[in-house]
Amino acid sequence: MRDFSEAQLERYSRHILLQDVGVEGQAKLMEARVLIVGAGGLGAPIGLYLAAAGIGKIGIVDGDTVDLSNLQRQVIHFEKDIDTPKVASAREKMLAINPEIEVVTYQKCLRADNIREIIRDYDFVVDGTDNFPTKFLVNDACVMEGIPFSHGGILRFDGQTMTVVPGKSPCYRCTFRQPPPPDAVPTCSQAGVLGAIAGMLGTIQAAEVLKFVTGVGDLLTGTLLTFDAKTMDFKKIKLHKQKNCPVCGEAPTITELYDEEQAVCNLHN
Amino acid sequence: MTKAKIQADALKDCRGVGCPMNLVYTKVELAKLQAGQILEIHLDDGAPINNVPGSAEKEGHRIIGKKQLPDGAWSVLIEKG
Amino acid sequence: MQISMNGEKRQVAGDSLTIAVLLEMEKVESPEMVSVQVNGDVIDRTLYQETDIGDGDEVDFLYFMGGGSRR
Ligand SMILES: [Zn+2]
Repeated sequence: MRDFSEAQLERYSRHILLQDVGVEGQAKLMEARVLIVGAGGLGAPIGLYLAAAGIGKIGIVDGDTVDLSNLQRQVIHFEKDIDTPKVASAREKMLAINPEIEVVTYQKCLRADNIREIIRDYDFVVDGTDNFPTKFLVNDACVMEGIPFSHGGILRFDGQTMTVVPGKSPCYRCTFRQPPPPDAVPTCSQAGVLGAIAGMLGTIQAAEVLKFVTGVGDLLTGTLLTFDAKTMDFKKIKLHKQKNCPVCGEAPTITELYDEEQAVCNLHN
Repeated sequence: MTKAKIQADALKDCRGVGCPMNLVYTKVELAKLQAGQILEIHLDDGAPINNVPGSAEKEGHRIIGKKQLPDGAWSVLIEKG
Repeated sequence: MQISMNGEKRQVAGDSLTIAVLLEMEKVESPEMVSVQVNGDVIDRTLYQETDIGDGDEVDFLYFMGGGSRR
């Protein structure tokens, strides 16, 4: 069994005390490698909680720099971080919480030609991006590499998330097929978003990561969890693996990754 | 205890250790043992002796002995479940 | 007839209607932002005009939701 230092036992005592987690579960967390895509509204709580939980290696991908308009919900970034790369700002806070972990930063956009080699180093991927091309790219790459991931989306007062275990549960494309036409898509920047929604959804995604790594409970596989913060209604909708899914179905038509748009994310701020 | 002395496989002295860290140490020591092996743990009187054995039982271990030590603390024998 | 919409029972006039009509009835502003599932099957967008919903069907409107990272 892994040897814990006195300080580690104290730091992780509330996990160790949980019957379903215990010493063994905490050891698994400390050996886990998790990649967070997007260091924004969702990535902020995800990064903070995964660092606090002692996930051994955490990767963060984001090509953007911190902007004043981020601070309303992206709680990992502070006013002093404006204009610095989001991944560097996030890494600093995560290590400030827990200097024992390793945080690897990727200051870039994920593309068809770089995503597979990046995600291959991880056991689980958490999607916290705001754009559909990247969401579909993350889905397809994770299905192809057989890496489980958590999808997350927020808009206005609503949030949704599902967990995908390739080969076992329906993928994002099973249900959502292809990105909606760009002109139909209201992003956070156009539609607005209630700041705390990002925390609500991001912490659900972080909990899914901890459950996956420790093997505790039932994941949100085959289930789209949605909530509406105006009424605080939470709903679970059953999803099914679709035989005609273009990426995980019986006769996949997507066998190679491609970039949906020229600008998957724009670097200029 | 009136029975013949049971030989413990490990001993952890948690005197002076409060809740819940005493339970954390107990769980760590139990994790190192095989099912059926016995951990002897020393716990302070009061909250520790009132809480730790019950928590260990809830997690499927068996309390097979309990006696007060000369200093007022307790020695508890836990068989790993 | 009675159908189930996102898990909630709903009374609808008539014995059948198409997905296209149901989307209108539900005042879905941008149908491009919805994926429709009927009895567990995701329906191809091009078939909304010709796919009928009948009594007892379970229909789910699943909204595309982005958001998270950029400003
Ligand atoms: Zn699929």
